[in-house]
Amino acid sequence: MNPKEYKYTQEHEWICPEPGNKGKVGITDFAQSELGDVVYLDLPSPGTQVEQFKKMGEIESVKAVSDLFAPASGQVLEVNQAVIDEPGLVNHDPYGDGWLVRLELSNPSELDALMGSDKYDEFIAQLGEEDSE
Amino acid sequence: MTEKDIVIIGGGPGGYAAAIHAVHLGASVAVVEKDSLGGTCLNRGCIPTKALIQSVEVLLEARKANELGIEIGNITANFSKIMARKTSVVNKLASGVKQLMKADNITVYNGIGHILPPQLVKVNDEEIATRKIIIATGSEPAPFPIPGSDLPGVLTTDEVLELKELPESLVVIGGSYVGVEFATIFNGLGTKVAIVEKLPLLLESIDEEISRRLAQTLLRQGIEVRLRTTVKAIEREGAVLKVVGDTPQGEQEVTGQMVLMATGRQPYTEELGLPQLGIKLDGLAIVVDERLETNVDGVYAVGDVLGKSMLAHTASYEGEIAVENALGRSCQADYRAVPGCIFTHPEIASVGITEREAKDSGIPYKVSKFPFLACARAVTMDETAGMVKMICNAKNGRVLGIHIMGPHASELIAEGVLAMQLGATASDIAHTIHAHPTLSEAVHETAMGQLEGSIHFQRVP
Repeated sequence: MNPKEYKYTQEHEWICPEPGNKGKVGITDFAQSELGDVVYLDLPSPGTQVEQFKKMGEIESVKAVSDLFAPASGQVLEVNQAVIDEPGLVNHDPYGDGWLVRLELSNPSELDALMGSDKYDEFIAQLGEEDSE
Repeated sequence: MTEKDIVIIGGGPGGYAAAIHAVHLGASVAVVEKDSLGGTCLNRGCIPTKALIQSVEVLLEARKANELGIEIGNITANFSKIMARKTSVVNKLASGVKQLMKADNITVYNGIGHILPPQLVKVNDEEIATRKIIIATGSEPAPFPIPGSDLPGVLTTDEVLELKELPESLVVIGGSYVGVEFATIFNGLGTKVAIVEKLPLLLESIDEEISRRLAQTLLRQGIEVRLRTTVKAIEREGAVLKVVGDTPQGEQEVTGQMVLMATGRQPYTEELGLPQLGIKLDGLAIVVDERLETNVDGVYAVGDVLGKSMLAHTASYEGEIAVENALGRSCQADYRAVPGCIFTHPEIASVGITEREAKDSGIPYKVSKFPFLACARAVTMDETAGMVKMICNAKNGRVLGIHIMGPHASELIAEGVLAMQLGATASDIAHTIHAHPTLSEAVHETAMGQLEGSIHFQRVP
């Protein structure tokens, strides 16, 4: 299930707000299942400034290359080295060990523009319906 | 006194290619070489390292043979046999060059060439009169003057090729292509390898995206990569050498049984007599015009001694251009399409400008990419890591750069080089039939990505 305390984008990234205006970022379970086995991640290095909804990296899986968008603006504090070494973590644990980067948010109120977990559930349910039409 | 049309000082890929081309054009030629024909490339560079890399490739293949249904028992890398084979490959190619010189009646003088004004070259006690001179003296490892750089166990790239035993661990100082190739070789054979580089990226001149991919690939292969680390000293600490460097996080150290200095090369002009001749230098490099002539009439210079890209194929090309000009034709060196290849696993190859250079130049450009995992041939080979990336002028579609990381990238780049040399567009490549199933389809698909889109790959929005 999509964690309740996380916020979600329409591009299927999540951000988990942390104390001190920080946030951990990853991709959703829906995104990883659509992508298939992740083989390579191109993530912004620590110190990079990212902007909400702008491209910040790429994810390559066995069947697709997908852009990764920043769910909020700020500076990259940390990159998850474990996921660089073993990209399969994104598939196995997208909301836990498969996190991608940690951000220092420059404008925390941007998170209000994101979906909560219920809304994101509805959003992907709709996507599923469009697909089956 | 012997008289020649052209005397070429230096018998490396610049010098010997120039000599043979000059003979083809009807000139009488002599080559002066102080060491062995073939130069750095054949004796201490491209060739011996590629021979070693081939052994590593075979080892890696053997290890995954089981997955492809080939059962191999015990697999062992025998370092002394690997090194002996490397030497025999070098000898075979060196005798080939010797043979070519003989067949073309090119006199080879063994010794250091001094230029005596106006038109005389002196080797040992012999003087050769000549109408034209081509300097192709190449380069040598640049000194890297830090405390401890002369300790036993600190090797130059020449010395590392003569090792008798595989070191347990090796610290490679310098993340240029030379450094990453040696790191790949030794890591592949079982040495614990760390690369230390002062810049934030490996292989500074290649596309950043590919550089980042390479850093991750090396990490997964077990190579430790330390970027932003400026080495300031090497110290002996018992059985190991300690490399100490400054990083943004403060002083750090990494230890190894041996240390390899892959810290760059510099033009070699010693004893040529350039000051007496009044030849213009830029630092240590000889300055030439676009016809590759120096400021002294009739004296040309080619290859590493110009202090630019220091690639064997550039030197050979320049050798031919210099000969044409020396023999009264007029042509200019054209550097629009110079390929560069790095024999890591997978290989990296590129031509033209990087995405960063496109961005900085202000030209409107478009980037397309195609991953090898969507290329059928790569899947059959089980070599799907990497991609082709193409940068084209967004207005007219002309190819500005191609960057490949993947299986046989060094061969695939040839199509991109030809495309750039001819001023071809992405559409030209896309409308060229590429054989199926081959890796070259990845280049084709990348070109299609510049137009309406690749056939075998969709970007997930």
